[in-house]
Amino acid sequence: MENTIDQICTEALREIETAKSKDSLNAISVKYLGRKGIVTQFLRNISKLPSEERPKAGEKANEIKKILEKAFEETANRLYSQSPEAHDFVDVSLPGRSALPGSLHPITQITRQICDIFIRMGFDIAEGPEIESDYYNFEALNIPKYHPARDMQDTFYVSDNIVLRTHTSPVQVRVMEKCKPPVKVIAPGKVYRSDSDITHTPMFHQVEGLMVGENISFGNLKGILTNFVHLMFDEKTSLRFRPSFFPFTEPSAEVDMLCVMCRGNGCRICSQTGWIEVLGAGMVHPAVFENVGYDTTKITGFAFGIGIERITMLKYGIDDTRKFFENDFRFLRQF
Amino acid sequence: MKVSLSWLKDYVNIEMDVQDLASALTMAGLEVESVTNSFDYLENVVVGRIIEISPHPNAEKLKLCRVDAGKSPIQVVCGAPNIVENILAPLALPGTVFPDGSILQTCDIRGKISEGMLCSERELELGDDKSGVMILSGTPETGTKISSALSLSDFVLEIGLTPNRSDCLSVLGIAREIAAIQKLKIKYPVKQQPDRNKDIQEYTSVRIEAPEHCPRYAAALVTDITVSESPFWLRKRLISIGQRPINNIVDITNFVMMECGQPLHAFDFNLLAENRIVVRTAEKGETFVTLDQKERILDPEMLMICDGKKPVAIAGVMGGLNSEIANSTKRVLIESAYFNPLNIRKTSKKLGLSTEASYRFERGIDPLGTVNALVRAALLMTKIGNGKLTGGVIDENPLIHDLVPIELNISETGRLLGIEMDRENIKSCLESIEFDVENADADTLKVTPPSFRVDITRSVDLMEEAARLYGYNNIPTTMPFIHAETTQPLKTLVLRDKIKNILTGLSFMEAINYSFINESSCDQLRLLSNDTKRKLLHVLNPINEEQSVMRTSLIPGLLETMRRNLSQQVRNLKLFETGNIFLSRGQETLPEEVEMVAGLWTGDRYNSAWYAKETGCDFYDIKGIVEGLISDLNINNSCFTKMPSELCRYTKQGHTAQVTIEGRPIGLVGELHPEVLRNFDLKQRAFIFELNCNTLLDLTNKAKKSKLLPKFPFTTRDITVIISKDIEAMSILEKLNSFGEKLIENTQLFDIFEGDPVPPGKKSVSVRIIYRSPEKTLEDNEVNGIHIDITNRLLGAFNASLPA
Ligand SMILES: [Zn+2]
Repeated sequence: MENTIDQICTEALREIETAKSKDSLNAISVKYLGRKGIVTQFLRNISKLPSEERPKAGEKANEIKKILEKAFEETANRLYSQSPEAHDFVDVSLPGRSALPGSLHPITQITRQICDIFIRMGFDIAEGPEIESDYYNFEALNIPKYHPARDMQDTFYVSDNIVLRTHTSPVQVRVMEKCKPPVKVIAPGKVYRSDSDITHTPMFHQVEGLMVGENISFGNLKGILTNFVHLMFDEKTSLRFRPSFFPFTEPSAEVDMLCVMCRGNGCRICSQTGWIEVLGAGMVHPAVFENVGYDTTKITGFAFGIGIERITMLKYGIDDTRKFFENDFRFLRQF
Repeated sequence: MKVSLSWLKDYVNIEMDVQDLASALTMAGLEVESVTNSFDYLENVVVGRIIEISPHPNAEKLKLCRVDAGKSPIQVVCGAPNIVENILAPLALPGTVFPDGSILQTCDIRGKISEGMLCSERELELGDDKSGVMILSGTPETGTKISSALSLSDFVLEIGLTPNRSDCLSVLGIAREIAAIQKLKIKYPVKQQPDRNKDIQEYTSVRIEAPEHCPRYAAALVTDITVSESPFWLRKRLISIGQRPINNIVDITNFVMMECGQPLHAFDFNLLAENRIVVRTAEKGETFVTLDQKERILDPEMLMICDGKKPVAIAGVMGGLNSEIANSTKRVLIESAYFNPLNIRKTSKKLGLSTEASYRFERGIDPLGTVNALVRAALLMTKIGNGKLTGGVIDENPLIHDLVPIELNISETGRLLGIEMDRENIKSCLESIEFDVENADADTLKVTPPSFRVDITRSVDLMEEAARLYGYNNIPTTMPFIHAETTQPLKTLVLRDKIKNILTGLSFMEAINYSFINESSCDQLRLLSNDTKRKLLHVLNPINEEQSVMRTSLIPGLLETMRRNLSQQVRNLKLFETGNIFLSRGQETLPEEVEMVAGLWTGDRYNSAWYAKETGCDFYDIKGIVEGLISDLNINNSCFTKMPSELCRYTKQGHTAQVTIEGRPIGLVGELHPEVLRNFDLKQRAFIFELNCNTLLDLTNKAKKSKLLPKFPFTTRDITVIISKDIEAMSILEKLNSFGEKLIENTQLFDIFEGDPVPPGKKSVSVRIIYRSPEKTLEDNEVNGIHIDITNRLLGAFNASLPA
């Protein structure tokens, strides 16, 4: 009995070794291990053996079955690796079927980054009309008619009392008219000034910021803006605050950022000064609070305005602000 | 405001290096925009040696000089009487810009070429001598720049002043700031009392008829004057800050204005009718010829300086030609007045005339500075113009200016700035800029600002001054403590962000175009005369015609962008833009601002690639984008219908769909009209969509709800029907759905075919119907029964047939 099974095994292994194709190997597999295969039959017949022989014979038969299964698998793998199918390949260098996404305008990308930073600092977002009354654009912001401060911004007029907003600051007033303090809000949007050259376009984008509450101080303004610049650029980008004038803030400040290109050593971008003017800010002028009915004895606040084009140009190394609105596909594609 | 270092040093010691000074001023709020050398104009003037002099063949008074200018000798024609061989003199080379504005060029003088010019002191504004060329002593090397040979150096600071700092529109004002920075005292010019002479009151009088516009008018009279060129020192001062010297009298008024910020005017006293001054407003329609020889039309709000009969100056803006100082002038009346800033600004704006004087008056000059400046000018005229000063001055002052003290709370100051500042700290800051500070109580100071600080009116102004002088950068940087409540994000913003993300995901590129367009865009878009897009809001002062009205559609901007890209050989474009359009309700009211999203696809659907042939995009490509956008916005009942032809103005009729959702039109999608393409000079087809975001916003508020997934398998059956070509394919699906068969889960259009074997005028439409029951696995015979029934109803409804 044992001899027989050993002979079967030897014979099977010989046949497996000489198999030339997947098909002939399958046939051999059926012949030995199939439902009516030789080994299967042998196993089935074990029950007919005397009971004392059965365990040993069963053990032996199963062992042989495993040997054969392994031989079949190895041979199958060998045959596959020799087949043409195993040597088929794709040209991985060919470009994939196009699924290129579009892209957001660089101004949108930077606006989102700026907003995200302020949102994380707890600010809400507000918007307002792009065409404004003289009241919201000027008067409510402590810039009366005929005030020389009106010369600071070249205004586009629609009529005596209607202008294209020259800054996003009117949104400050609209927000404060609607909400009681505390207020913490930023207002991104388009603004318009009658100016056109390499550094000015008649339309551009600003983010206005406003925080009003009890004990909001100039030091806090410095804190918020420093944090913003650190997140927008990096921790090494220091800020410099210098006195300036805006009719709707007092004290007012121009804020310079250490030049991102030369790190303060002086270069073309910063006109050799090492500093780049990035925003205007200050403590909200009591006259503005009075205009919206806030109690100036209880609350203080700060406001700031960031030029988005300026930040975008610094972030992406863009040298001509007019490029933003030419929408050259090759330009847009880069961002 | 320009100011030279040497002039500043007349009033304050400056030990800092000029760059340090510039940055100190900048950090004190006086932004120094540039520092230049005031002798820059001598850039092309070098030391020359006359090697040889020979007569000019065609002119007796001229000589030909061979001049060694460091390189090979050049020929210079010169008429100066004092030239001899071997002297060293300043030689201006071609390109030199003289202080009077003229530019030197190589030229032909009476038949001989002159390659430069030997200059006098006067010509180079280095002194008064104009009798001959300036002879240089010492042994400077030829070719050396004259500025280094003579060690000439003076820096000019250009300061960008903010409108509040009118007190710094003078050299003294800036010197005051520098003194405060250096903690020094300023040296004011010595005030001499004029010699007592016959009293001015005997010669003239001043009557103010409009005190609200002219609270103060002071005048002095100088007689026996000689009008001539100003001395060198005076010319040099004016030239250094970019002013042209005119004559000694005018130069003195300008000098004193620049020195102390008080504009002055000098009248020829003999030309004043009745020898007196009347200050009144103009009469309606009155005209007046100003010094610049232009006739000005006046209005009754404008303040005029008049003599006994007629106007002689527009107050605070410009004098008149009729009383101008001339060489023959013998007696001069000097005006030093304070005019109402608002009045001067209005006049200046109305006349479109801004002068150094009006610039200062409208920002507010020192109300108490009139007499000082007047005396300073009068005394200079006696010195420089050899005049005699009449005794005393006239000082009409119907509205007295009072200095008002302001209370400053010390702890409030600390709270606003975010730093504890003690009393002494604040006091020393404010005193350094000549503020008078007294203690009021334990926590309050009583501060009286000097009269020239017209910008200081409330306590917060004082806090700013304290902060500015303390140094903004010395205030600690801290984070605020503020309540954490917040609001819902702006819905418009959320929608806009979503739209942008979806469209970029659909491989569209975002563009941002200007909000202004050309008025002719409406015609280019073939808009009918009653189209709402013709409700244009006009910009009164546009930069150019192309940007003269606010856009009422995003399409012109996208088409301009397409044109610019085509001209750069970029012909495959997928662009979108979101932004406001502006529908006018009249120029006097705010327009309606509507947020829109528009897209444009032109060029190829696929670029030619190894896997595909170049294929142009078509209507269904752009429609697919709109469908994708709408469905991604969680809106699922959009409807595309044929756009009525009268509404297809800029798109092609028969190739445009109107998009509606729940019966509300939200926009259109279609192919651009060929005529519009021509109007915008576009040489290839383009497909656009345009949707109203405001309406979309109303429709996107539906909450998402999860549905149970089906448990049993589906079965499909296909139908192909032959119908008339005119029938919209989607109406077959609509009809199928209208049958209300519960077991139909979905229907899909999978083939449309025209041409043989389908008869002409017909098309075959193939639809796959998906049947599924929520309760069981459907049996074939059950489905077959329903399907046959549905097929028959469909054939009946469309008068259709089955394929042969
Ligand atoms: Zn730099």
